[in-house]
Amino acid sequence: MSNLIAVTKPVLPLLFVLLSNTAGSRVLVRWTQDIVPSAKRLGVTELVVPWEPGRLPLFRIAVNQGYHVYAETGVREASAAADSAAKTGIAGVVVSPGDEPLSSLDDTIRRLRTTYPKVAFLLANPNAIQPEMKGTLVINRDGILQVTSPTAQPWVDTNLALVRLEQAFRPAQVPLYSFRWNLTGAAQQQGPDVPDYALAVAEAAAFGADLILALHQNLEGGLAHDDSKAWATWDQVKQYVRFFPAQRRHLVPEANVAVITAEDPASFEPINLLARHNIGVRVLKPNLFNEFNLQHFDVAVVLSTPTKTGMQTISHFAGRGGTVVLVNANNVSYPWHSARPLRTSNASVSYSIGKGRIIELSEPIADPETFAQDVRRLIENKDIRMSLWNALTTIAVLYRGMDTGDKIVELLNYAEDPLEVQIRVKGAYSSVRYETPEHDCCETLKPVIRDGFTEFLVPSVYIAGRVHLKGKVNPPTPANK
Amino acid sequence: MRWSKRLISSLVLSVLAAALADSQSLTLVHKKKYVMGTVFEVVAYHDSPTHASNAIDEAFQEIARLDSIMSNYKSDSDLSRLNRTAHFHAESVSPDLYRVIETSLRYSKLSDGEFDITVGPLVNFWKSVIRGERSRSPGDEANLRKCVGYNKIVLLPPDRIEFRCPSLQIDLGAIGKGYAVDRVVAILRSHGISKALVNAGGSTIYGMGFPPGESAWRVRLRDPSGKNNPEVLLSENSVSTSEQTASSLFGDNQAGHIIDPQNGEPVKTAIAVTVLAQTATDSDALSTTLLLLGPQKGSAVVKGISEAAAIWIAPSGQVETASSGPRISFVREGHPQIARERKADK
Repeated sequence: MSNLIAVTKPVLPLLFVLLSNTAGSRVLVRWTQDIVPSAKRLGVTELVVPWEPGRLPLFRIAVNQGYHVYAETGVREASAAADSAAKTGIAGVVVSPGDEPLSSLDDTIRRLRTTYPKVAFLLANPNAIQPEMKGTLVINRDGILQVTSPTAQPWVDTNLALVRLEQAFRPAQVPLYSFRWNLTGAAQQQGPDVPDYALAVAEAAAFGADLILALHQNLEGGLAHDDSKAWATWDQVKQYVRFFPAQRRHLVPEANVAVITAEDPASFEPINLLARHNIGVRVLKPNLFNEFNLQHFDVAVVLSTPTKTGMQTISHFAGRGGTVVLVNANNVSYPWHSARPLRTSNASVSYSIGKGRIIELSEPIADPETFAQDVRRLIENKDIRMSLWNALTTIAVLYRGMDTGDKIVELLNYAEDPLEVQIRVKGAYSSVRYETPEHDCCETLKPVIRDGFTEFLVPSVYIAGRVHLKGKVNPPTPANK
Repeated sequence: MRWSKRLISSLVLSVLAAALADSQSLTLVHKKKYVMGTVFEVVAYHDSPTHASNAIDEAFQEIARLDSIMSNYKSDSDLSRLNRTAHFHAESVSPDLYRVIETSLRYSKLSDGEFDITVGPLVNFWKSVIRGERSRSPGDEANLRKCVGYNKIVLLPPDRIEFRCPSLQIDLGAIGKGYAVDRVVAILRSHGISKALVNAGGSTIYGMGFPPGESAWRVRLRDPSGKNNPEVLLSENSVSTSEQTASSLFGDNQAGHIIDPQNGEPVKTAIAVTVLAQTATDSDALSTTLLLLGPQKGSAVVKGISEAAAIWIAPSGQVETASSGPRISFVREGHPQIARERKADK
């Protein structure tokens, strides 16, 4: 019995973390028109309709057209919407927090779920951004303000950090988010292009999140009124909806870096920049910060003030070879201060502990871009799960099959322009196949296995693509050499 | 006299009304494309968005064509071929590549070797150090430094180039984007577009004409101190900014992407330099040159170039400027003020 407890205790948090990261990928189309095309024709099964009591007929029409319909409300109207759910047959209620912080609504959502056990309540994060490759132009009402910058590196607006934070802080629900389109000039009238819709759909799915997709009024109106041009546009977007299976619970995202943080807005940019540099990140809440949950990571970035237990975890993690970056370290005496400090810069001190080290940064992260590159250098090349080249506009997420050990790389190209990308994945795999929404599965890629890594060239990533690595080859043992 | 005043007034009003009507009919078209390792953006005003969009697409194709010539990442580019085969053997190259290399050598002479396109191998070396893919090796550095020197490149007009060192490699990262911006401007003009802003990743920007209702394109400049708010007004000229890659927060790496050809190492400065010039090729090349030269030597270079200006800003907020014509202003509480030049330059 005592053994069972000893085993169960550490396993439970791990299972919790693993399950919290299982993948979603539903597209919920926000619908406002009185006419609703059939679910079969639209190619999605879920609609989100802004809640108004006068819209009950629209909810019924949508249900009859074959959709799971969600009423979208603020917190105050959530109960009223739930009361109507039984009458109209709607599947659930999407609660948008408005101006309130998401963290303040967790208890409210829990209460609603208890009160209305038959109604699904989903909390939508409205703070997502349109995924896109950004320029540096700032176009506002007063005209255009161009800002010069020292580097020509492209900036990518991605929701990966938001998804990772949601997975950590709202593990009971697959991350669900919405965003507003960022359109300027003629595009405001015309609406987003097909690649823009496609990227939004692909991004959420690749990250394991659900998306509430707002259609431009021209497209939504065109679909409602059977306009052939609108349907031609949407049929192309549908390719991307179809490309991502709805549930992929057997996949676990791989990561080199654990970021330990409370739900603090200041944590967002460092995680965002780590994600943009394709450094695999998992976010851990401070109460899950323990040695067991860190065992598969190489670097731990501690953004929250560590508790006494947290300090022990830091020491143990470094002792067995990990690297800890403690940000905004205050002047208290940490257990590792008995080791000899090495001042590495004005703001950083390093302590060698066992096989690893602890780096204390005395300040908050002022330059997240440099910080991300620094963290990348802390991971030894032999440990990096995945590296990309020629991929400044590409975000890649590496998944491991829980049962098989096979790997999947989901690729997104925010430039929306075909790009050849070189990839290196840790582990030796004999079979590498590539599929895209535009082409049937799968193109066989030629892997080069070198030093325990599989290297391959993806010939063209337009918006999204998926690489399957199978047939893991065990490295030769010394006896076999 | 009274009659003529009325005539003039009505003429002025007519012109203003026509200009207003003209500006009201203009539509903004904004497009971007990832090419040359950066994001090129064009904002153009035109009464036909379709026409403007097509012109921008053609300009983007031109950048892609230039990338296929000047890329040292693509193994089949003209530059890669030159880097493989021009050692002690003159090779014919495309007119664009010849022109860019010729201009580069002009800046090398002007800066006494501070601007040098032969630092390519060292740039790649330090980039991989920054990425953590390799560590510093004095032996490797010394080997790579052996063939650094612009005077080891020989131009044989009209189109041939020869390298006089066995491992010499050219990198056009400090000038190629500027040249591409100038080509975009030429193509937009050929399509009748006169009001546009062409932006190569924020590091080089050209203003064509001016936006409706304004006298120029307003460009806020990079200021590492955040204290000065410098800006320039662009109209038929270009601005470029250079700054060394930020140092590691953990102090474990002092690499950077701008290499000093004199010692083969990343230049150690946190100053940001912004340069105004008549063409994007000039502003792009000058910005790197002036970062390496510093304000004292750089001011003389700026004054020797027609319609150029430069501003050096330190993280402390200290500012140095030099100009042979254009002005750089500082925005203080909403009111632009003209920058003062270095005393030594007056």
